[in-house]
Amino acid sequence: MRTPIAYFVFLSGILFALGTVGVLLRKNALLIFMSVELQLNAVNLSLVAFSRMHNELDGQILAFFSMVVAAAEVVVGLAIIVSIYRRRQSVNVDDVRELRW
Amino acid sequence: MVVAELAPLTDAHASTGQLSLLWLVPALPLLGAFVNLFAGRRLGRAAGWLATALVAGAFAIAAVCVLELVAVPAEERLYVQHLFDWITVGSFQVGADLRLDALSATMILVVTGVGSLIHLYSVGYMDGDARYGRYFAYLNLFVFFMLMLVLGANYLVLYLGWEGVGLCSYLLIGFWYEKTENANAAKKAFVTTRIGDTAMMIGLAFIVWRFGTLDFETVFGAAGATLTEAAATGIALLLFGGAIGKSAQIPLQVWLPDAMAGPTPVSALIHAATMVTAGVYLVVRSAPIFELSDVALPVVLVIGLVTMLVAGTAALGQTDIKRVLAYSTVSQLGYMFMAAGMKAYAAAMFMLVAHAFYKALMFLGSGSVIHGMHEEQDMRRMGGLRRKMPVTGWTFVVGAFALAGVPPLAGFFAKDQILEIANHTGRQAVWVLGALGALISALYIGRLVFLTFFGAPRSDEADHAHESSGLMTIPLLVLAVGAAAAGLLNLTPEGRIAHFLEPVVGEVPHGEGLAVWVLGTIGGTVAILGLVLAWLVYASGRVDWAAFGERLEPLPRTLLHGWYWDEAYSRLLVAPGKAAARITAFVVDARWVDGLVNGVGGGVDRLARAGRLLQTGFVRSYALAFLLGAVALLAWIGVRL
Amino acid sequence: MPLDNVVFWVFAPISIASAIGMLVMRNAVHAALFLVVNLFCVAVMYLLLDAPFLFAVQIIVYAGAIMVLFLFVIMLLGVDRGDDLRERLLAQRPLAILLAIAFIAEIFVAVRAGIGFATKAPDGFDAVNEGGNARALAEVLFRDYFLPFEITSILLIIAAIAAMVLAQRRARVITQAELEQRRSPSTDRGSAVDDVDVAEVPR
Repeated sequence: MRTPIAYFVFLSGILFALGTVGVLLRKNALLIFMSVELQLNAVNLSLVAFSRMHNELDGQILAFFSMVVAAAEVVVGLAIIVSIYRRRQSVNVDDVRELRW
Repeated sequence: MVVAELAPLTDAHASTGQLSLLWLVPALPLLGAFVNLFAGRRLGRAAGWLATALVAGAFAIAAVCVLELVAVPAEERLYVQHLFDWITVGSFQVGADLRLDALSATMILVVTGVGSLIHLYSVGYMDGDARYGRYFAYLNLFVFFMLMLVLGANYLVLYLGWEGVGLCSYLLIGFWYEKTENANAAKKAFVTTRIGDTAMMIGLAFIVWRFGTLDFETVFGAAGATLTEAAATGIALLLFGGAIGKSAQIPLQVWLPDAMAGPTPVSALIHAATMVTAGVYLVVRSAPIFELSDVALPVVLVIGLVTMLVAGTAALGQTDIKRVLAYSTVSQLGYMFMAAGMKAYAAAMFMLVAHAFYKALMFLGSGSVIHGMHEEQDMRRMGGLRRKMPVTGWTFVVGAFALAGVPPLAGFFAKDQILEIANHTGRQAVWVLGALGALISALYIGRLVFLTFFGAPRSDEADHAHESSGLMTIPLLVLAVGAAAAGLLNLTPEGRIAHFLEPVVGEVPHGEGLAVWVLGTIGGTVAILGLVLAWLVYASGRVDWAAFGERLEPLPRTLLHGWYWDEAYSRLLVAPGKAAARITAFVVDARWVDGLVNGVGGGVDRLARAGRLLQTGFVRSYALAFLLGAVALLAWIGVRL
Repeated sequence: MPLDNVVFWVFAPISIASAIGMLVMRNAVHAALFLVVNLFCVAVMYLLLDAPFLFAVQIIVYAGAIMVLFLFVIMLLGVDRGDDLRERLLAQRPLAILLAIAFIAEIFVAVRAGIGFATKAPDGFDAVNEGGNARALAEVLFRDYFLPFEITSILLIIAAIAAMVLAQRRARVITQAELEQRRSPSTDRGSAVDDVDVAEVPR
């Protein structure tokens, strides 16, 4: 493979940054969640890239686990969002601001 | 000085071992103080008898010890009793040591002797007072401290006594504290003497610094070798500062006239016979240090001289009988310091003894007069009291004549010897001024006697005055005998007392000058002249002294106010002090310090109020903060790498 | 021109573009679909990095299960209308973008300082993938990482149970409008949901 590994890592960094922007700027809880998934993906990509660089499979194993845990997390997170929606009929995170001064 | 040649007696010495009872001398009054302090109210009248008995007992034991002391040859008359180790800090050690030599022997006899007489008098004088028991507790406590002062074998025990008598003086001057002016007088006495005490404390610190110890034997023995002239001057002047305060010399004399607010026996004991003489004792005791300086003793002399004249003239203008005696005490102390300043320590001590007798006598007599006059103290309202109060009157006359210096009473010998030494050592100016001072003393004491006891009664109280009880008159009689006969103790400058004190204070200064009998005649003449003049003006009826006084204005008023020292201090020191206190309290403390503290509190509050606004409740804001932190952290790591 | 280079330079921009697309879409369903595209591109990257197993798992699990779940919930809740893009918070948007750019710059610097942009992948990965990637992964997984594997399985079970508990129907419902009313300026107490009982037994 001729593509330098660094390009993959840099790509993963860009994707991560984009995911962060999404977390910060979207108000819909589901969209925030999706941005978080984007971040997780980016990290997985960099894990696999480094695994390739070191000629080991540990990175891929780690990415694998990350995916599994991400799946579990999505399940629970969406359940929470559903339950919040049931209470307030809204998934706008700006409406959830009781914990303040 | 021959101090170093004394070989101290040990505890084991003296065939009967009675010297070891020395510690009882201060211990008995201390016991009395404790008992009366805690059980005084229950004892009632017995409190006074107990206190008197204990001081009398102390006198007896003191006499026994002194007799033991004189049983050995003069070079061995030094006994140091070590009670316990008081302070041990590294190489600095101070023991609770008592020292009995000729000088302290003289002092303890005077303190306990005159003290027990005054206690007896107080039993009668203070009868019926609400705080009878506490009075005697304080009085006993005072005697204890005074004894510690004179019996101390080192400067720290002396200082303990020094401070203790100051405390008791405060307690006793302000004994009737319900009247504000009494409390103020007590405060004034304490604060003024405090100034002197501070100087003395610094002097003690210097002594420790230079010598590493405060023990008399060690310090005086090594003084010549250890101290430079400048160091000796410094230490001596600082110690003398303490003496100025305690003995009410210029410029700290202002407290003594006001201290007359206390009960009269207190004035007699503390402010005539004992506490105020502590300054003289200190100077005489510290003579080895004073003599190493070229400046110290002349300073003592000058201050004594000035005080004698200023206070003597002030006494001439007083209308309150006790204030005359107060200024007189200040003036007579000036005489004693004059003597010390001329290295005539024995003469100073002799005068101290004689003065103790006749001044205590006159104070107690004035107390008797005040009692008989139903608490009236203004001499202008008295007159002819010798007929109504014969014992008081005639004993007072004896005391007055002794003070004036009429031969052959004690005061004549004491004063005359001082003037003789002045003349013989070439200090003619001192001699002349001393003689002038003697004339003034005769004048003011004559004025007092003739206004009070002679002439016609000038008020109803004087007309109906009565003699006091035996409890009060007996001490007067005893003291009168002492005032009259004390001259026998030291008929010449090299008399018995001088000889007795010689191992401690050294030889009496000699010299050439006018013949002794010439000087004596001059002295006696001056005394009698002053008394005659006083009689003429105040008792003979030939002079209208009230009108005479008015014509001399403003002099009488200036003298009445003691040359306006109090007013000057009030304007120069007290008013600025009060202003400074006001500023400190209301500006510095209330505005700045409190403002700072409250400001800090307020600042924290404002900070918190602002900081609280960070908690917006918006999750996205918090997330932004996360990101900010993360980016910053990465940047920092990146820079460091 | 080497094939993997071409593939990379085609799919990398697509992944970035789809990510940006996900961010800017107002409609939630559109955003989810853009995310799916992105996941596909990342899967291709895995393929380029000699991880075919992960390529498959990514598509099956991530794109296939997780995103479908997302779409289910979006359409269940009916929030696909999308939120308004007005930004209420002060300086949130500019700051977020600025910080993201700073972050990318830092990554750039770190990568350049770390492995350098020229380093190619070393040879010899075929030896690692002996017997196929799946088999090699299985060997490492069930040998060296067996404990994490077990724990993760327990985690999955817990997640499933949690989801079932959480998503049960509750009793009363408060609309956002009512909440807004309670949170009116005069009684701004901050805790307005105190009439909903958390421990209530579900029907």
